[in-house]
Amino acid sequence: MKKVKAAFRGIVIFLLCMIEIYPLFWMLTASFKKQAEWSEKPAYALNDGFYFQNYSDAWTRGHMSTFFKNSLITTLVALVFIVFFSVTVGFAVTKMKWKFRNAVAQYFRFGIMIPVAIALIPLFQIYSKTNMLNTRTCLIITYIAFGLSLSIYLVQGYLRSFPDDIMEAAVIDGCGIYRLMWHIVTPLMKNSIVTVLVLQFFFKWNDLLFSMTFISDSALKTVQTGLLYFSDEFGSKNWGAIFASVSMSVFPLLLLYMALNKKLMEGMTAGAVKG
Amino acid sequence: MKKRALAILMAALTASTMLAVPTFAADYSGEDPQLEKNIKILTIWAEDNDNGVLLNKICEDYQKNVNPNFTWEYEMVASDNLQQKIATLAASNDLPDLFAYEAGAPLSVLIDSGKVKDISEAVDEIGTADYLNSGAVELLKGLSGTDDLYDLPLGLNVEGFWYNKALFEQAGCEVPTTWDEFEEVLQKLSDAGIQPLTTGGSDKWGATRLINAYAVRTAGNDIMTKAADGEVPYTDEKLVAAADKLAEWAEKGYFGEGITTVDMNTAGSMLMSGKAAIFYNGSWFTQNLTDDSQNPAGEDGIGFFNIPVADESVSSATSYSMNCGNILALDNDKYDEATGWFLKYFMENIGNLAMEEQGTVKGYTYDVAADDMDGYTKLVLDEIDKSTEGFAWWEAKMPSEISKTAQENVQPLLNGEMTGEEYMQSIQDVYDMQ
Amino acid sequence: MNKVLGNKKAISLFVIPALIVYTIIVMVPVIWSLYYSFFSGSPGLQWEFAGFDNYARLFRDKNFLNALTVNCKYVLVVTIGQVGMGLLLSLMFKFWLRRCKTIVRTLVFFPVVLPTVAVGQLFAKIYEIQPNYGLLNSLLDSLGFTNLVQPWIGQSSTALWALCVMDIWVAMGFYSVIFYGALLDISDDILEAARIDGCGGWQLFKNILLPLLRPMVITSLVFSFSGTVKMFESAMALTKGGPGSATKSLSMYMYDVAFTYNKVGYASVIAIVIFLICVVGSLVINKFDVKD
Repeated sequence: MKKVKAAFRGIVIFLLCMIEIYPLFWMLTASFKKQAEWSEKPAYALNDGFYFQNYSDAWTRGHMSTFFKNSLITTLVALVFIVFFSVTVGFAVTKMKWKFRNAVAQYFRFGIMIPVAIALIPLFQIYSKTNMLNTRTCLIITYIAFGLSLSIYLVQGYLRSFPDDIMEAAVIDGCGIYRLMWHIVTPLMKNSIVTVLVLQFFFKWNDLLFSMTFISDSALKTVQTGLLYFSDEFGSKNWGAIFASVSMSVFPLLLLYMALNKKLMEGMTAGAVKG
Repeated sequence: MKKRALAILMAALTASTMLAVPTFAADYSGEDPQLEKNIKILTIWAEDNDNGVLLNKICEDYQKNVNPNFTWEYEMVASDNLQQKIATLAASNDLPDLFAYEAGAPLSVLIDSGKVKDISEAVDEIGTADYLNSGAVELLKGLSGTDDLYDLPLGLNVEGFWYNKALFEQAGCEVPTTWDEFEEVLQKLSDAGIQPLTTGGSDKWGATRLINAYAVRTAGNDIMTKAADGEVPYTDEKLVAAADKLAEWAEKGYFGEGITTVDMNTAGSMLMSGKAAIFYNGSWFTQNLTDDSQNPAGEDGIGFFNIPVADESVSSATSYSMNCGNILALDNDKYDEATGWFLKYFMENIGNLAMEEQGTVKGYTYDVAADDMDGYTKLVLDEIDKSTEGFAWWEAKMPSEISKTAQENVQPLLNGEMTGEEYMQSIQDVYDMQ
Repeated sequence: MNKVLGNKKAISLFVIPALIVYTIIVMVPVIWSLYYSFFSGSPGLQWEFAGFDNYARLFRDKNFLNALTVNCKYVLVVTIGQVGMGLLLSLMFKFWLRRCKTIVRTLVFFPVVLPTVAVGQLFAKIYEIQPNYGLLNSLLDSLGFTNLVQPWIGQSSTALWALCVMDIWVAMGFYSVIFYGALLDISDDILEAARIDGCGGWQLFKNILLPLLRPMVITSLVFSFSGTVKMFESAMALTKGGPGSATKSLSMYMYDVAFTYNKVGYASVIAIVIFLICVVGSLVINKFDVKD
């Protein structure tokens, strides 16, 4: 009986993993397909051969090398600020004692609820008047501002269950607020920081709307705008090349994430305080 | 009416300023004065594709051969996002010097707000009227409903039915010339177990073009203009019949199952790989046909025929559905003498350049022949030569809200969730609300 | 303790920079668009003061009502689906999984990181019927359910649900990771004690785990809710709002109104509605967050 149960569980988990990995596998096969294969064979069929043309198209026509660099710079800089701000603000509104903390928390929370498209025209005018259009700075600032609400909210969620006695012990040992923050609280928040980091990274990495609206200089454009090079005026799309460039932009990051994730998870479990 | 009144008013205004300060009008007859100028170009064509190549090439030529002080910045956005980008730019008065846009209702909004340069006026000033193809000019004027031209063509396309020759042979079909023959062909193909038609039901415009085809052939080339002007209601029985025709085909299974999920791209591949026999699309489809990795049917596997005629006296066999694709407009405020000089060079040379480089017609005169033209490109040129009259597409004269409705509801029409009458009524409803 | 946590200087240092950036970039444009809502047309294009016309128009607008209905159905199904599936998965990880925990956890997170365009295209191919049967239809076909083969995303009756399945799939891994983190913090002693007391699986979940997980569940619900109310990209990628307007959300309609119809003023009103729905919904969800 126990064995059957274990086998059943194993199968469910296995199926689950398949369901989750399949798209990546599919994307990879799709990136090697010739245009004609899309209609000649079912989409789940394996690629006939390895049509590397898609990759070279993606690399040269999609300007991957430049766009990749730009995406990396804007995303990373924005992330540093998002993590920094969300930890400090999150801590201040959850654990610190002051009059307006709930109001401020609520104020930040509003941001989650704002439909992004509506801010486009006013934002464009702000950047245009301050001469910031077409700079990395304006993109980075936008990313930070629109990433804050969610990140702070997530951090708050973790902090609420953060044990007060640890902080108390630290304060009794003579810790000031800044030391408490950086040496006690932050290391214990690794888990939530990783979540914020990963989630925001991919949100920003996949952004198209902002970068397309605020950046017109091809030397500053980001990865997602590269995909535009494969669809034309009349709706014709070169799917092979699109998936080739998506693969190129996603796989290195996935590997990085997996490596990073394992390390961080280990660190977290080792240092975690069990209640 | 408001539109026309505004246009006249604007024309009068510009005329009066010109009269008042005649010295402002530059003289474009002599040598290019090599003015310093940087122009921004916003398009939907990649630098290495289609019109993107031409625009960059002509800028390069102008800089190299005529005006070394000229520079340009080229930007591309997705065609889906063009309107959003232009709206955002217009909101802060920052339209590019030269930009791609949609002819018809979208451009009319910019014309009414005085955002775009009156091209007729500019052309008179720089003296390049002869370089424009008169057919293209009429088409564009008709689309914006103005006496003056406010945009430049950068394409001249005919549309019609592309068919798979092998499948026609297999079913023993001849190319139809009349609408009745066409219906017979469809039936014959269907009987032979071949899917007769395919279209881009998910892109929607591919399907509305089919309604347009029948509507025009039975009610005249100008039927949609009349409807837009309110002379004929959208619920006119001939228009309803056209919508019903599409529903009937779908009902009979001519499009196979789930046609609303097929995009133009897939539909095109289906034709080329022999999964469907007939596909309505424009002459731009040649770029897929000439690509070996896309076209298993090969160099002579696909043919073209114009929309078959129902009644020669209503709409003739030499009238084609024509369009200029996305057009180019010039920002009114940024237009100056230097732009004028560039425009002069552009208009004088783009026709020849397009013919030499790509073997395509862009709506300008040309006097060269392409070096080595492939069969499909040649086929399209021949069809364009045959045309005596042009008519526009289904949504051309509809303001954006009506056009959106007309496109969205074509899907329920194809699915049988809406009848032809309900479909036309839904369009009429939005029209009445305007 | 209170003295350290009440350090005014530290508080302002922690909060003010973020507050400034956030206010200028997020809140100012929002208030700005509030002002826009009293105008017709788009800034620079037929821009005229219109008073409350845009607000009055809202109630007569059939398309708006349609989008609202679609959006509500979607929110209900997807929010519950995402959080529910996430919870379910996390419980599986905690109680079923013995080996490869990190790998499985990482794997289920994958869909979140894929660009929406890619996910949309993948599902379009799964649901495909023409020119070839996609994964789903082939499966049904080979199992003998030929009458169930249908254009899943091509007909109004199924398109929205097909979209919901996709969006639940995309996000369930993300929520499972969040819940799993919270589950790890629950000490094994509590679970052991409950087991000794004779708690079965369901009772254990209801009486012990759920109360402990409640803050996380509430957080996730709010998060998922505010995401789904703004439904846009995934529907754009899978169905473009079709067939007809069967999967057209408020945000998509707003985008059309603003940029296709050139009516930024009216679009602002729709944006305000979306915002209000979010606020009210979040308040309702938070009502369940009683602190004992």
